[in-house]
Amino acid sequence: MSTSLGEFEQLVLLALMRLGDEAYGVTVQRELAKRGKREVSLATVYTTLVRLEAKGLVNSRLGDPTPQRGGRRKKHYALDVAGRDALTDSLRTIRKMARGLDTAWDA
Amino acid sequence: MTARPVRPPRAAVFLLSRRLPDELREAILGDLEETFFEEIVSTRGARAARAWYWKQTLRMLLTVRPGADAAHEPGFTKQGDPAMLMLLSDLRFAIRMLARRPAFSALAILTLAIGIGASTAIFSVVDPVLFRALPYPAGDRIMTVWEREKTGEKSTVGYATYSDFAHDNKSFSAIAALGQWQPTMSGTSEPERLDGQRVTHSFFQVLGVKPALGRDFYREEDVPGAARVVVLSDGLWRRRFGGDATLVGKQITLDGIPFTVVGIMPADFDNVLNPTAKLWSPLRYDVSLPQACRSCRHLRAIGRLKPGTSPAAGERDLTQISVNLVRAYPKDYTAPGVIVTPMHEEMAQAVRPALLAVLAAVAFLLVISCANVASLLLARAAQRESEFAVRIALGAGRRRVLGQLLTESVLLAFIGGACGIAVANGGVNLLLRLSPNDMPRLDAIGLDARVLVFAIAITAVAGIASGIAPAMLSARGGLHGAIKRGGHRVGGARRARNVLVVSEIALALVLLVGTGLLLRSLTHLLAVKPGLDPSNMLTMEVQVTGPKYRSDTVSRAFFDDALGRVRALPGVEQAGLVSQLPLGGNIDSYGIHIELHPNPNPADDMSADRYMVTAGYLEAMRIPLLRGRAITASDNIDAPPVLLINETFAKRGWPGEDPIGQRVRIGDPVKSPWRTIVGIVGDVHHVSLDAPLSNQVYMHESQWPWAEGAMILAVRTRGDPSSMTTAARNAVWSVDKNQPILHVATMEQVLATSAARRRFALTLFEMFAVVALVLAGAGIYGVLSGTVAERAREIGIRAALGATRSDILKLVVRQGLSLAITGITLGAIAAFALKRLIAGLLFDTQPADPITFGSVIAVLFTVALVACAVPAWRAAQLDPVRALRAE
Repeated sequence: MSTSLGEFEQLVLLALMRLGDEAYGVTVQRELAKRGKREVSLATVYTTLVRLEAKGLVNSRLGDPTPQRGGRRKKHYALDVAGRDALTDSLRTIRKMARGLDTAWDA
Repeated sequence: MTARPVRPPRAAVFLLSRRLPDELREAILGDLEETFFEEIVSTRGARAARAWYWKQTLRMLLTVRPGADAAHEPGFTKQGDPAMLMLLSDLRFAIRMLARRPAFSALAILTLAIGIGASTAIFSVVDPVLFRALPYPAGDRIMTVWEREKTGEKSTVGYATYSDFAHDNKSFSAIAALGQWQPTMSGTSEPERLDGQRVTHSFFQVLGVKPALGRDFYREEDVPGAARVVVLSDGLWRRRFGGDATLVGKQITLDGIPFTVVGIMPADFDNVLNPTAKLWSPLRYDVSLPQACRSCRHLRAIGRLKPGTSPAAGERDLTQISVNLVRAYPKDYTAPGVIVTPMHEEMAQAVRPALLAVLAAVAFLLVISCANVASLLLARAAQRESEFAVRIALGAGRRRVLGQLLTESVLLAFIGGACGIAVANGGVNLLLRLSPNDMPRLDAIGLDARVLVFAIAITAVAGIASGIAPAMLSARGGLHGAIKRGGHRVGGARRARNVLVVSEIALALVLLVGTGLLLRSLTHLLAVKPGLDPSNMLTMEVQVTGPKYRSDTVSRAFFDDALGRVRALPGVEQAGLVSQLPLGGNIDSYGIHIELHPNPNPADDMSADRYMVTAGYLEAMRIPLLRGRAITASDNIDAPPVLLINETFAKRGWPGEDPIGQRVRIGDPVKSPWRTIVGIVGDVHHVSLDAPLSNQVYMHESQWPWAEGAMILAVRTRGDPSSMTTAARNAVWSVDKNQPILHVATMEQVLATSAARRRFALTLFEMFAVVALVLAGAGIYGVLSGTVAERAREIGIRAALGATRSDILKLVVRQGLSLAITGITLGAIAAFALKRLIAGLLFDTQPADPITFGSVIAVLFTVALVACAVPAWRAAQLDPVRALRAE
């Protein structure tokens, strides 16, 4: 069964894919700002990550502590298989829906 | 970059680590810290970064929410105390509600900020004077001790009497006497005149305060001929000696005489009775000295009661001693008796009526702002009625809805309170500038912990007070008891808003009446003729100091020379010197013994203000000579002693007789020379414009046994008097540049200062009244706009049925004015009932002054009319078709 994704969830999942091993709260937030032009708070990012994890779409692991984080560890997030499937599904749906309409935007 | 390492705000980190769920705490705190440092380095600086951190913290805290299933609720969960979670959820919802209506929220917050800020500022001034204990250990046991005059008035004490009190009493652990002292300090840098006190050795024991460095006075240092020692205040020590701890034991030069510094007072020592005194030296009296005589009553006395002794018992004890003294020395006392009052009361007495009135005024202002916010919230609640009805229908308890609404109003109040503290901060500075110069404990005024607690307390009260009515009405099951919109809306909400507006108007009227009465008092006061012409008059105090002026001849020569040079300045019309300036705050009065009317007890003779003058002083001040001749330069030390008296003294001292040619003795009834009255001059207000006229005598300064140490130079100028300041000062200094000149002021400034206490109360009342008026106007406007919106349908029907625009206009205006009239009537009754509160501040004005009441009512009525006009006009413009279709 595929889970339908909200738009912001799609963006977060895409950010995780782009970032790979470097995906954690701050980098996701920055990626959304840089590439997605979305200025969101860390609270929003974590809200979504926690929800995606609860849906079984992403998994997380604790990383290494660094001094600029006050010796605290990072929580790295990565796409699960189910997450990759859900994202693929929803992007495919969008592509299907948009097919043939490109000229309408270009005009 | 700052030297201090920058860290994320500790309180925020603490909050987050308490509230964040375990599995996210480390990650989120780490992420925030990482970004925090990058924010600082890359862009905005430490301050902005901290603000950013707080913002993120708040967002985060609002996101942590109750709810079992993270997958279906936005945010993430944290197990915790359900009540706490409920509060957080209410709080988050409240913030969203307020953020959604920024204009409404800003208005409510601003209103509360003004009310809370003004109250807090006033409280900070009133608290140390009226409510806080004296800043001394067991300060409630410190008493002021006065001799009682025959008239029942308080009198300062003579040293011999003090000495008997101190030795013979059983109720006080210590009694001290204190006198004025204004030494000039020289030697280190330029000479400076200081304000100090000469005190008996027991002074600091009575206060219960010890020097922070060095020691208190010894008993042996308080006798004639003892080595001279001095204790300095912390401020003086730091300012003049750079806080040099080795100063204790060293000598400083005061009035050309070496004094050994024996102690430095603690920095927080607050000298309540004489805040400007910065150094203390033993009095060095004993009863053999002429100035220590029983009738030489020039000392203040204070005492510390033994534990468990009441002021009344202390007074009885000293009164018994006084009865014995009067029996032993009948010529020296007018009547037996002693008055003992707590020092705290003594200090507050002069300003208490003004402070209480201002406190009441600001309380009214606070109530008005709460009423205004309550009215706003009611209007809001009416718009949200379906929301509440739905919530209740879905099973939300009334308490839940009530809690939510109170959370909103308390949140509003706390944001208002935070802004209010900023308002108060500015307000305190303003108050310090406005404060009359005799206001006690000015140093203690500020936003300290007590004041902040007060601010938080009134904030909480304001939040609940303004929220309770709307919340109760909403929780009762929807404001109008129905989910469906439309229909008639004459509900509790409208009635409640009406009540609120009426009370706002009533309170505003009370404030306006108070303001009006004070304004009229001040006008009347300033219309009092001071007896001299204050325009184009420059005054300054010139002092002589230093060893060379210990000779009277040299001092007098200096004053004569200085006066001559000032008179020679271009732009000076006339100038003279006087020993004390009318309305300048000095009291120098002597017993006058009339040859024609001797009293069996000379202590019963009248007293008069003594002015030692040079020729030209009366002319410069334009104090009119009514009869006889003026004092001239030839009334000098070799001529027979003469004096002028004022009109009031002429009437009181020689009723039905001609005083000219009569003789009096001044001061000592036996030893002082006879002086002949040669003229009568006009009355001058000496103490204040509102005090009864005193007896006054004028003598040529050379005809007094000793020369004055300080004289006031009074200069009548042709142009702006303040522009002559530098020239006059330089003229004095051209004689001797080492002599201090102080209290430079135009006579008009002196007059204004003497009315400062009234102006203080008036300025505050004016500010409060203007705000109250605006709020009351806004209240009427708000209610009427609300009504017009709610009654759009009804108005539409009326219009459709043929009501003209003027009918509709009248309909709305009538509603507004009926509110206004009710408020005005109740307010007038309240103002009348409260008139006692302000009566003590009035001068020559009746508390029920019809002109004041009349004009205030007119002003308020006009404001009400203006506030009605806009909603009424809007109602009249209503298109009936659209109003009906909207339903």
